[in-house]
Amino acid sequence: MQTIEALLLEPVGCLAEFPSAPFHEIAVRLFGRKRKAGSSASQAYWYLLNLIDASKTPFDAEKQSVAEELEVEAVDAASIYEDVEPAVTELKSMGIRLFVASSLSRRAAMRFIERNALGEYFSGVCTRDDAGGVKSTPILNVLASASLPREKTMFLTDTVEGIKVARSVGVNPILMMNDPDEAQRLAMHNPAGGVVSLHEMPDFIRLIAAQNQRS
Amino acid sequence: MKKVSIYRPTTVDEAIQILSQHGSSASVYAGGTDLLVRLKNRLEQAPSYLVDIKKIDHLRYIKEDAQGGVEIGSATKLAELADSRLLQEKYPMLVEAIGKISSPELRNASTLGGDLLQEVWCQYLRGGYSCWRNGGYLCYGAIGDNSHYHSAMGGRLCYAVYPGDAATALIPFDARAKLATPQGEKELSIEQMVPGDMLVDGKIQSHVVRYNEILTSVVIPPPKPGVRASFEKLRPRGVWDFAMASLAISLQLRDKTIEDSRVVFGGISGKPYREKAVEAFLKGKTLSAELGEQAIAVALADAAPLKYNATKIDMAKGLLASGLARLNA
Repeated sequence: MQTIEALLLEPVGCLAEFPSAPFHEIAVRLFGRKRKAGSSASQAYWYLLNLIDASKTPFDAEKQSVAEELEVEAVDAASIYEDVEPAVTELKSMGIRLFVASSLSRRAAMRFIERNALGEYFSGVCTRDDAGGVKSTPILNVLASASLPREKTMFLTDTVEGIKVARSVGVNPILMMNDPDEAQRLAMHNPAGGVVSLHEMPDFIRLIAAQNQRS
Repeated sequence: MKKVSIYRPTTVDEAIQILSQHGSSASVYAGGTDLLVRLKNRLEQAPSYLVDIKKIDHLRYIKEDAQGGVEIGSATKLAELADSRLLQEKYPMLVEAIGKISSPELRNASTLGGDLLQEVWCQYLRGGYSCWRNGGYLCYGAIGDNSHYHSAMGGRLCYAVYPGDAATALIPFDARAKLATPQGEKELSIEQMVPGDMLVDGKIQSHVVRYNEILTSVVIPPPKPGVRASFEKLRPRGVWDFAMASLAISLQLRDKTIEDSRVVFGGISGKPYREKAVEAFLKGKTLSAELGEQAIAVALADAAPLKYNATKIDMAKGLLASGLARLNA
């Protein structure tokens, strides 16, 4: 792996424990899906993103409002992982550029950042509203607007979809191993690496730099 | 088995020169009980050049020093430590611990230096998985079967436990390690030498010894008056296996009052885990039958078990109680 310069983060599943219900609710109300129970917030979220992606048309004002309200509800109920603040502080001090590349609405993403006082750590925020699409679109938007070299960029994810999306745009998919059983399954999908906690990212990036220096 | 070239230097300086020349593709070869298994399993991190230090004089000895302590050459066999009358007389707990390492056959081959600096025995690493220590960027132990050989005290990328017993048993004696380096001799405490998962020369390893440094000896200070020590070990099988939990404990007593102590757990963390909270708790206490239960209450508050290894913490606490009971007997 090349020495890493930037890290792209999707708040759902990587920065906080979100509830799954609001994402299920969006799928029910906007896409007529049946109510699901039992899946994780990340799975519910990426399922919803697939629906949005497949619909090919942007939300009208009414649907946008419904989605935003429920996403904000999810953000308000989310508990940020305790290792996020020390990890992003350290990463920033190492010169790693941090970006939010999220398929959430801008309103929800900004609320998440403000609510958890994370604004100072990010060099940029790109949401589905900014990018005009979900999944790979916000990532591509960040890569282009910040001129990030793809092979020197990581995208942190805890879903198969996230791994595939990162691979498809040429950035390094890094598995966030929140749940051991789920992570075991996801490890079969060939992520570029994996961490148990965000606090391991600084060491991960240092190790790659040291290996490249040695070789 | 991976193909290798073997050097046989006759001095430490010559060995360091060879190690410096080949960088991290070379490694010291002494007993070989860890190294040869890594080569056999064709691990990515296994070296291509072996620097056999067995022909170097003055690395295989056990001798009393002028202060009444003992110095042990790093190439001394574990069996020689286990049979040493000098060590039995001065540090019986160390001899007990060495006697519980692996099997008699392996103790005849393994060296003290090798035990202290051995690679972790995670089944995923040894099975050739592309993990942090084997050219990859993921810990399979953290998400797989972590019931035996993985940390219950958190991790730093790699979650394998530090497997050595000698370090766990040497720390209570405040033992120190001497290293030969290209810049001259360097001395570290055992705790400093084995601090757990470290990024050294672009690799993750349990110790801080660099690719061109050689552990030459371990120096144990003279035994303190009034010290009683005990070593306890739980493992899946009676021989051969590594600790699921172990404990080296020493108490410095005046009558029954504990003036100082060292409490070091093995097999539960990426390093020999010195439990300073229990040491602080024990200071000034009277050694009694009830002390074990009280000490358990303050032990290992920072435990962070993985999915299948919370029982290691219970084992470690049980060893603390039994160790204190044994010292009270």
